[in-house]
Amino acid sequence: MTRTDTPDPGLDPDLMAYVDGTLAPERMAEIEARLAHDAQAREAVAQWRHFGNLLHDYAASADDRPENLQIAALERQLARKLQKRRWRVVAFGPVVQRIAASVLLFAAGWGTHALYGSGTGNGGTVYPQFVSHTLAEHTAYKLAAFERASFEAYEMDAALDWMSQQMQQKIDSPKLDRLGYQVETARLAVVDNQPVAVFYYRNPDNERITVSMTPRALEQPDYSLRVAERDGERMAYWSSEGLHYAVIAATDAGSITTLAAAVQE
Amino acid sequence: MSLKTELHTHVGSLRRYALVLTRDPVAADDLVQETLLKAIAKSDTFQPGSNLRPWLFRILHNTHVSELRRAKTRTDAAPDLPDPVARDCQHTQLELKQVLGALDQLPEAQRMPIILIALREMSYAEAARCLDVPLGTFMSRLGRGREALRRIVQGVGAGKLTILKRKEGDA
Repeated sequence: MTRTDTPDPGLDPDLMAYVDGTLAPERMAEIEARLAHDAQAREAVAQWRHFGNLLHDYAASADDRPENLQIAALERQLARKLQKRRWRVVAFGPVVQRIAASVLLFAAGWGTHALYGSGTGNGGTVYPQFVSHTLAEHTAYKLAAFERASFEAYEMDAALDWMSQQMQQKIDSPKLDRLGYQVETARLAVVDNQPVAVFYYRNPDNERITVSMTPRALEQPDYSLRVAERDGERMAYWSSEGLHYAVIAATDAGSITTLAAAVQE
Repeated sequence: MSLKTELHTHVGSLRRYALVLTRDPVAADDLVQETLLKAIAKSDTFQPGSNLRPWLFRILHNTHVSELRRAKTRTDAAPDLPDPVARDCQHTQLELKQVLGALDQLPEAQRMPIILIALREMSYAEAARCLDVPLGTFMSRLGRGREALRRIVQGVGAGKLTILKRKEGDA
């Protein structure tokens, strides 16, 4: 066989996959048996692997270089940009738009003025008890004084069953993962002899959200969605299906509404 | 994995890739910085949920190619090959120098797949996305490139290694 008649090993996908370790295990033995009888393919494979190793080791020497502070700063800047981008896409995505619309419709009877007007500002505003308590929980982060029980994320199923019993009402933990937040802890607090379920969330940028659910007694008001600000924290609160809800985070008014919509859903 | 952690991992990969492309740690870091600056400017084009790594590698790749073209217009003189970072014995360094020199003789379309796969950080499909070519094209370029690299190194190596052996024998 002449040189020109010999098949080019570079055109054999099995040989390439063998060298790069992507060949299915059941085919490895098959290729190895073939290599045992094919000196040209064996030499090609050995050299590809050797050159690959040389290049890999050379590339890996970049890891020995000291950290480049300018690169680190740009990396942080890019992470912030991409996080915002992720947030915007989620916030304006069809699912959240739909739930945001449903919450805004829920509040529509009160009008936009009521939605963003009442409770905005610091001076002397009195919030409902369940909002004040959630704000205290968020600010103090896990207020021990009122705690009856605390659960970690991995205990959430059992926690929800137990808390539902205590509150004599079925509750569920809001799913905020599509907004980039994971539940960290859930607690049952007791305030004025009333159970309050509090959920703490955090995103990869270490931003926290506190969500509370409090059973609404028949004589208590039924709150439409309100958005307020206090000491840099945004609060959204409303009542629905026998529960009062409060959501608190250091964010803007649009985002807190989106979060409220996600909690409501 | 959080976005920050993921990005940090990818920046490490970019630095490794850039080092093989430029052969100069300072130029490699400059290339990575330029890549990140462009990524920041283009962050609105990134589709959350899609794979971040091919997006970043594609920016680096395009930045490098543009820079090569600019450099070619500045000078046609072939740049001296800098000594690779010392990691191993003299023989390994000589071999590495030969391989890097042979890589330079390959067309860019074959050089890039070889380097990307040598990083051992991504699948063929992901590497193809980094270069914005179909998988079949990528595989073909990788295979042909590897064979071309082998032929060049064998041609070069025969002469240089003979000289090296002769010098070792003289010593």
